[in-house]
Amino acid sequence: MVAYGLLALGLSTVLALVTWSVVSDYLTEQRESSAMVETSDNAAAFHYGLFGAPQPCKPARERAECGSPTPDHNVSVMDLLNSLPSTDSAASMVYFEEHWYSLTGKPADLPADFIDTVRNGHSAQRRITVGGQQVLAVGVPLSRPGEAFFEWHPLDSLDKTLQTLKITLIVAAVVTALIGLAVGRLASTLALRPLAELTRVADAVARGQLDARLDAESDRDLGGLARSFNQTAANLERRVAADARFAGDVSHELRTPLMTMLNSMQLIQNHRGELPDPVREPVELLGDDLDRFRRLVIDLLEISRDDGGDQGSREIVRIAHLVRAAADGMAGREVTTVAPEAEGLTLQADKRRLERVIANLVENAEDHAGGCKGVGVEAGGLGVVITVDDAGPGIAVEDRDRIFERFGRGETSGRGRGVGLGLAIVARHVEWHHGTIRVEDRPGGGARLVVELPAKIS
Amino acid sequence: MAHSLLLVDDEPRIRRVLRLALEDEGYQVAEAANGYDALAVLRREPPDVVLLDLMLPDRDGFAVCREIRRSSDVPVIMVTARTDSHDVVAGLEAGADDYVTKPLVAKELSARIRALLRRVEPASARYADLIEVGDLRIDVGAAEVSRAGTVLPLTRTEFKLLAELAGAEGKVLSREQLLSKVWGYGYFGDSRIVDVHIRRLRLKIEHDPASPKHLVTARGLGYRLVS
Repeated sequence: MVAYGLLALGLSTVLALVTWSVVSDYLTEQRESSAMVETSDNAAAFHYGLFGAPQPCKPARERAECGSPTPDHNVSVMDLLNSLPSTDSAASMVYFEEHWYSLTGKPADLPADFIDTVRNGHSAQRRITVGGQQVLAVGVPLSRPGEAFFEWHPLDSLDKTLQTLKITLIVAAVVTALIGLAVGRLASTLALRPLAELTRVADAVARGQLDARLDAESDRDLGGLARSFNQTAANLERRVAADARFAGDVSHELRTPLMTMLNSMQLIQNHRGELPDPVREPVELLGDDLDRFRRLVIDLLEISRDDGGDQGSREIVRIAHLVRAAADGMAGREVTTVAPEAEGLTLQADKRRLERVIANLVENAEDHAGGCKGVGVEAGGLGVVITVDDAGPGIAVEDRDRIFERFGRGETSGRGRGVGLGLAIVARHVEWHHGTIRVEDRPGGGARLVVELPAKIS
Repeated sequence: MAHSLLLVDDEPRIRRVLRLALEDEGYQVAEAANGYDALAVLRREPPDVVLLDLMLPDRDGFAVCREIRRSSDVPVIMVTARTDSHDVVAGLEAGADDYVTKPLVAKELSARIRALLRRVEPASARYADLIEVGDLRIDVGAAEVSRAGTVLPLTRTEFKLLAELAGAEGKVLSREQLLSKVWGYGYFGDSRIVDVHIRRLRLKIEHDPASPKHLVTARGLGYRLVS
């Protein structure tokens, strides 16, 4: 729409400039040639009055053939100048027999090189300024060398005409641009309405609302596009649903044998005392790894649950309560410090997801980074800033993004920090809450994981 | 006396291992492989708790749950394999008292069962045996609610929820408090369990469940029971 306006403005400006340059060139040319003709006529008349017989030749050219006529000294140069049919405010002056004769105007106003050019036998004209006004000076050589006739012609009527033209053109350009803008607005509203709808629906699909569809029948021109868009969206929806089903099916298949193993193992461990010595240690090993396996399956389910488009449930949560419950519960001791101004902060959250965030971070610090050195809750950033400090070796700058990837672990950190899916789940759940997570150095050594969530006082 | 349990699951291996583990925890366990058998067992020898897998071959677990509720107030714990939130809410709305997700371990399950079987402490110092709220008579000792002499068909969990709210004497109880008192959950219990039970309870005790007069919501805080 703005483009239409700009286009109209551009077009009308070009048209105006072309018109301006053509018309002003033409008018100036006309004025110059008529000035030349007038001055030449006046010069001829002057010459006739002074030298009598009409000249058979033009004074500017063929001067050699004309010879050197003799002036009639009975005629007053000033009278002669006076008798010329002068136009209004045109100054006439003549350089004759080593003297300037002038009716109006001063020869001093003429540029010296201009006078020289004319006195050397060449007709000339030039725009000069006299008394603050633009005039067109015209010089015509007389028949004898060094003698010349000068006039100047006011240009103010031409300037006035050009001024009027300029204003007219500017106004026309602006009006055209405004009309273009209005037409553009109308046209774009009418023509782009289906595109706006397409954009809205495409955005909805991109945001994950996969069942959004276009009305394919409403617009003849875009019907084909709408149909193929709908087809694509339908395919995508089917595909995502199939993927979610697949994840669900796999998880179901994994859970059943896992349940058998876990419950059998629990039974065996309940009766640990009755086991013969040689199998006690293997059972312990089996139990530990089974637990690890269980965690991995649960994490995989957690990730596929999100891939399956689980909407979760949002409720108003007091963030300080939640962090205390999750962090202290996971660490098995009091690790949480809440700043007084953060006590009243609440956010719309899925408690289960947020618990996983805090618990995974604390567990990661406990198991892989030398222990949790404290969990802080403060107001700031997006609303609330939660920090989880550890006593590990810290995380190299180049690894700070990788630890949040699935099965990503810091390469330079060596040991199994961020093993598996724990931190990947953290990152996803933080993102689900429109928050951010980053790694910093803890003052005094170790790493600090910083989660910011949009929270407010309520 | 050992509590009895009905285990409804179509996977023989799951039934076998859960029976072994739960018997080891001290329960008496009966099994059913499908909804039809489950309803038959339920009629023949009513258990204290039903553990119901929602993914059943002959009829889905939701239908079985509704069928159980038609004739019994027995606590039902559903086992969800599917994890999306819709399943959980649908199961609760079909009448389940609580839910667990696979892979579940007998020890955790046992804690859920104990919480559901715990009775409302009668005649505690805090509230009387008989509480009247509007035209409702809540008899804590007999675990019954009646209106104009007619006993309302509340499940045991619904009754516990109502009794806790009545005992608060008009004060607001948060969902966390209710989860803890009725279901034995800590801070991270699923508050949808409370919400769905409140909805079910309103259908039974309110004259107009869409605009409740007794069981009212305190927005962002919880629920309270008023005359």
